Amino acid sequence: MDNIYQPDLMEIAGVRQHTPDVKSVKLRFQDPNRAGSFDFRVGQFGIFSAFGAGEATFNICSSSNWKGSIEFCFRKVGRVTEALWDAEEGDTVGFRGPYGNGYPMEAWRGKDLIFLGGGIAMPPIRCAIWYALENRADYGDITIVYGARTVGDLVFVDELDEWARHPRVRVIRCVDPGGQTPDWTGEIGFVPTVFERADVPAKNAIALVIGPPIMIKNTIPVLERMGGAMSNVYTSLENRMKCGVGKCGRCNAGPVYVCKEGPVFTFEELRAIPMDY
Amino acid sequence: MSARISREDLRKLVAEWLAAGKKVFGPVRVKAGLELYAPLDSAEALLLDGWIRPANSIKELVFPRHEALYGYRILKNRVELVDLAAEIPEQIAIGAHPCDAAALAALDKVFNWDYRDEFYNRRRAATTVITMACAAHDDQCFCTSVGLGPEAERGSDALLHERDGGYEVRAISEKGRILLGGLAGETACPTAQTSGANTPPRRFDSAQVAAFAKEHFEDPYWAERALACLGCGACTFTCPACHCFDMVDEGNGREGVRARNWDACQFPMFTLHASGHNPRANQGARQRQRIYHKFVMYPDKFGEVLCTGCGNCSRNCPVGLGVLPAATEIGNG
Repeated sequence: MDNIYQPDLMEIAGVRQHTPDVKSVKLRFQDPNRAGSFDFRVGQFGIFSAFGAGEATFNICSSSNWKGSIEFCFRKVGRVTEALWDAEEGDTVGFRGPYGNGYPMEAWRGKDLIFLGGGIAMPPIRCAIWYALENRADYGDITIVYGARTVGDLVFVDELDEWARHPRVRVIRCVDPGGQTPDWTGEIGFVPTVFERADVPAKNAIALVIGPPIMIKNTIPVLERMGGAMSNVYTSLENRMKCGVGKCGRCNAGPVYVCKEGPVFTFEELRAIPMDY
Repeated sequence: MSARISREDLRKLVAEWLAAGKKVFGPVRVKAGLELYAPLDSAEALLLDGWIRPANSIKELVFPRHEALYGYRILKNRVELVDLAAEIPEQIAIGAHPCDAAALAALDKVFNWDYRDEFYNRRRAATTVITMACAAHDDQCFCTSVGLGPEAERGSDALLHERDGGYEVRAISEKGRILLGGLAGETACPTAQTSGANTPPRRFDSAQVAAFAKEHFEDPYWAERALACLGCGACTFTCPACHCFDMVDEGNGREGVRARNWDACQFPMFTLHASGHNPRANQGARQRQRIYHKFVMYPDKFGEVLCTGCGNCSRNCPVGLGVLPAATEIGNG
């Protein structure tokens, strides 16, 4: 019987600890046939399981150009993530997916890209950044503004340095006031303010904004002031999910199932549906 | 040609099914004032008179309240998944009402859009629904407000109409024809659909309910209406069409099952994010979701309302809420 709820078995091929409570994990399919045929779009998500604890939903934060493995990143906050935290290289976890729509990377071709992220929201942006860098000729200038509460809360810090070395890529790091360390060389301030100060041409750019609700709420007016069209401003919703395939009934935001019609929406689309996310 | 069966012969038929090892579900009286759809252990247990509708629904036949999706065994750092999908025996719902049967037709769409849920489909394929047209209604019935009626055939494999101490039998689907064979006729009953004493009055306009839910999403109405709500979820569990579920691991670090259990949009945990943010942070938002899902979201996707007017949510609500009181208020502009 075809079982849409049965996960692929994955071997943990690597674990990176980013902060005291954030890790990212690299997974390989145990079934070589599945490994060969697997494909996804950046921006899609998976449902990951620690057997005995349950399942949780995360963005696939690796680039779709990286064959043979996928990565996801999580903060230790509950039953499943605590079990995933304890998992080590060589252990087996489950994966279902890819699910959802993903970012329209083809439609973004020829445009400048602005990535605005807060805290643990870097992973779902990271996959798009790598994808754009790997297809560098397809995209214009890339601006990355990434902030966290404190220096210690920033994730994928080494990759920020790597991205900054690429031509036509500007990386702006910031931490909330009080979150800096004595040797901090980045900006101090909230993502929306720091972004506005950076004076990035936003009029014809694509912006991807992911972060805590308050960051998103304050970033949108800034983008609007800078001339950004809401049809070009994207985010990825994080509604709680169980099945991932439009059955279990909990992830809807108004009339749309985030798992199937999302998680990626433009703000033009979001403004047409109720605030149910 | 329509066909008739006496009450005695109907019980004999049920006895034959039971003797043949088929699982037969029908209305039974658990105690005075409480009827439930339950597995029949004898043909005599089948309740034929004196009930409006059971407090539960037949959805349990196709969507059990607990279902193992697969098993897991952990051996050091390897995991083995175990197929637990056993053969589904043939099962028959006898004496379902049109509001039960129609809900299965609605569930068919949810469990099959894009991704096909074979757990549901296998049970559905093994189930034959012999519906009994309603002989009476109570003040909670409102099928006629959601496009159905006491003799509606949607989702049924055969329909029984009570006539002169027996039943007229009509097969609707191939499954019904196969199960009933020569006992069933093919023609519709001559009775008009919406005129009899069995027909509840039209109590609201479902298009107006949808319009209110869409246009007054942030209205204080929802919070006020939900003040009495206990958040118990009885409305969803006894609803023939509510199908939300949770998926959990039941077992230990060595072996167990991943299972799905009925869940309810009335529970705070239903939508709680790991961050602590909850898009539906109060009971008003959760009550609104139940109306919104049934009258806006599902119709947007599948072209019909996800409510069959059975009235179970109100009958089973300890504090008098449910679809009908809300829809009466917001659907009679």
